[in-house]
Amino acid sequence: MAQIVGAFAAPHTPFFPWRVETEGSDCQTARLFAEIKKRFDAARPDLVVIFDTDHLNTFFFDNLPIFAVGVTDHFTGPNDEPRGGMKVHTIPSHAGLAAHIRRQGVDAGFDLALVQDFSVDHSVAVPLYFLTPDFRMPTIPIFISGHVPPLPSARRCFELGRQVRLSIESWKEPLRVAIVGTGSFSLEVWGPKIKRGTSDGVPAPEWVTQVCRYLENDQIDALIEAATEKRMLAAGSAGGELLNVIAMLGTIDNKVPEFIAPEMAHGHAYGAWKGN
Amino acid sequence: MSVYALNYLFRETLRDHAFRAQMKSDPAAAVAKYNLTEDERSALLSADIGRLYDMGVNAFLMGYLCRFELLGLTPEIYYDRIHTSKRTAASK
Repeated sequence: MAQIVGAFAAPHTPFFPWRVETEGSDCQTARLFAEIKKRFDAARPDLVVIFDTDHLNTFFFDNLPIFAVGVTDHFTGPNDEPRGGMKVHTIPSHAGLAAHIRRQGVDAGFDLALVQDFSVDHSVAVPLYFLTPDFRMPTIPIFISGHVPPLPSARRCFELGRQVRLSIESWKEPLRVAIVGTGSFSLEVWGPKIKRGTSDGVPAPEWVTQVCRYLENDQIDALIEAATEKRMLAAGSAGGELLNVIAMLGTIDNKVPEFIAPEMAHGHAYGAWKGN
Repeated sequence: MSVYALNYLFRETLRDHAFRAQMKSDPAAAVAKYNLTEDERSALLSADIGRLYDMGVNAFLMGYLCRFELLGLTPEIYYDRIHTSKRTAASK
């Protein structure tokens, strides 16, 4: 049977690969990614399941699922020319396990859309750049609509995480699975709450601090109660990406992080949790 | 529903490099094939970011205009114009 060996919160700021290549391993971003990377490696995963919010690149307004599972043997990314440049990779996946996650999810009442022929944007490619730099670890993306209201509720995303865990643990192969939830807690991109002269801004730093406090203290119910659509979107147009971290938390028993640190300039946090 | 066409056009500046180049060299010709209302076309060609935002476009996608330096936009001009939006004022 497959098992979850670790869970991680990881940012996906598009220019981070460029920043770390330019500024070197001493910059804050490199050091924070190194903290979760060493725990990721210590967990010795065979496969990654990543909860992700697509930025209207994999999906668009013609077809915008609330939840979707990528079921394929491989996909490509990034498809959105992240600032500073990033090579496009072919990323292996695991169609069998992905189809199983979808089958069991639908049976349990989660209407998981199917996507088979797709590419992903920086929001999957950037975390993989840091966690699996050779892009050879099979990765299954589970997409959560976190930008365009109506958003799924935080409770529903947490329950989806619980269901994904059950699906993984009922899979026949003895795979070691790492779960990643990626995104910002407060970030506005190209909307009115940006900082003048830049593409983004962090309109609600106090919310980032509050979310980190809930995470540090294992107050997941309080986090889920607080993370309403209104609260998340008041923290910026990308504030709903918190749902990916909440779904990730649904996959694990021990919700006290081994490591957690915010990066306030970007409104997100890095975290690592033990597996089950 | 032609806000859909605006959003689609914004994304094409990312995906279609020939379109991106034409948006730089001859924006009026570039947008001609899109089914926009006269109001939308004029707001777009004058890079009236505040009015476009009031029409309900997605800001993340509209930002590509600025990212790719189209229609004379700089981050400062973009910022100042999005703050002319009434949608902005209502959400403050």
